Amino acid sequence: MSASSLATVVIVPFFGALLWVTPAITRPTVQFGVRIPGDRVGAPVIRRERRAYYWRTAAIGVCFTITAVLVQGHASWWLGRIILLLELAADLGCYQIARKNITAVKNAEDWFAGLRQMVATDTSWRTDPPRFPVRWLLPALTVIAVTVIVGAVRYPDLPARMVVGFGGSSAGHQAPKSVVSVFALAVGQLYVTALWTGLMLIVYRSRPDIESADAASSTRRYRMYLAALTRAVLTLIALVNLTLLLAALRTWQVYRLTGIASALPLLPFIAGLLIFAIVAVRTGQGGSRLPAGSSGHAAKALPRVSPGPARDARLSRAGVGGGPSGGSGRASRLPGESPGQSPEARTGRDDDRFWKAGLIYVNRDDPAIMVGNRFGVGWTFNSADRTAWLVLAGIVAAPAGLAAIMAAAGL
Amino acid sequence: MLLSIEPDGPVPIYQQIRDRIVEAIADGAQPAGSGLPSTRQLAVDLGVNFHTVNKSYDLLRQEGLLRISRKSGAVVQRDPGSGPPDPGWVRDWTGRARTLLAEAAAQGMSAQDIIHHSQAALADFSFPAGEGAA
Repeated sequence: MSASSLATVVIVPFFGALLWVTPAITRPTVQFGVRIPGDRVGAPVIRRERRAYYWRTAAIGVCFTITAVLVQGHASWWLGRIILLLELAADLGCYQIARKNITAVKNAEDWFAGLRQMVATDTSWRTDPPRFPVRWLLPALTVIAVTVIVGAVRYPDLPARMVVGFGGSSAGHQAPKSVVSVFALAVGQLYVTALWTGLMLIVYRSRPDIESADAASSTRRYRMYLAALTRAVLTLIALVNLTLLLAALRTWQVYRLTGIASALPLLPFIAGLLIFAIVAVRTGQGGSRLPAGSSGHAAKALPRVSPGPARDARLSRAGVGGGPSGGSGRASRLPGESPGQSPEARTGRDDDRFWKAGLIYVNRDDPAIMVGNRFGVGWTFNSADRTAWLVLAGIVAAPAGLAAIMAAAGL
Repeated sequence: MLLSIEPDGPVPIYQQIRDRIVEAIADGAQPAGSGLPSTRQLAVDLGVNFHTVNKSYDLLRQEGLLRISRKSGAVVQRDPGSGPPDPGWVRDWTGRARTLLAEAAAQGMSAQDIIHHSQAALADFSFPAGEGAA
């Protein structure tokens, strides 16, 4: 078994499981990309569609995993990728079926009729912003430094032509020795680290993905979610860099592995993916699976803009600080609502029209560059925003430029 | 401070933002000297146009409630503890309050009911010690 076929055998069931579990980690008021009022979370159509989705995606995951196991060793590298792509397409098909069926019932029964659709924010997000955990970048940077140092030490002893790439000691093609060919994987490490750090920094400046009907508690949970997910991403980066370092050590002939053992460099990457998945499942999208009343260290960071009995009394009226209503998606009266207005008639804004196919966010009137994902954890770009396209162009242009440099160097 | 708006509601969004901030100042959530997000940040957080928030902040600045500078951003300038307002402002406000009370009277609310609702609203605000809502 080669490293490539092992990767397929691991990644096909991994992504199958991830998509299978996704409805459970998405926030309750967004079911299969459809925004629903808090009191419709248990609607029969939702229960039915969730059940159907679990069965369908489980069957798809099992079928594709069996296929991946059967073809490994016999097939060329691209077949593994086609199997993965087909699996993802099939799972997304299941998502679209569920989305269509829930939307049909939502529209037929007019679920938002008579409800006040609110957008809320907790200004403490800006007056006391969360801090990016810079120290968690150290492992990733250390691995890059080690890679560069080992590469520099090995450089004089390397042969004039060397095996390059990730393919392994025998499968990779050869290239003349040069700074570019020797340090290609270190450049890859720099790209991965810069890309994900940059994206996370944009996320730190973006709007928190919260429940408008329960903004204070939801913002507090989002802080914990962002802190946990950022650490998971930075750990994943460090482990990806470690995988690239192990691959580089092989091209620099520090060690030789054959057969199944040649997949060894992939282990840190797979461990990183697992850590990320575990954190994502535990927090849920936007922290929706975290307990509503949890305080944790993130809550201690909340601002004390106006200490005093007046604010405390007001916060307790607004349901801040958790309590039984904290995580229900509905809370008590918000500022601006008179005692005569029922908080039960308030809900988050129905924003389905801004989500194309329930996956792509397109809203010209929204100045946000990145927003919370509709399906699964993480964030996505606002496709109507010019800056978002510039960032995307940069993400694509950087590796294209690197590839051009490597092609020029004979790689 | 929790700030909620109804984007598809009948009241213009800039007015809603301005009203919520005035209420937050009155009930003690935003005392004098406390900061507000920048116009761009608040626009992103509420998913509205930057100019909409700019208009709200400009209204608050004209009313003397907000101070906006490049260095310190948007800072609340007055609160219930800042002392009595300008007599000219009181005159203007009396006129607007009269219209608001007239709306209630025209709709058939009794004087007792109007006073009851006014007292309930005042109970939410944070007056300096010794100046209760009653």
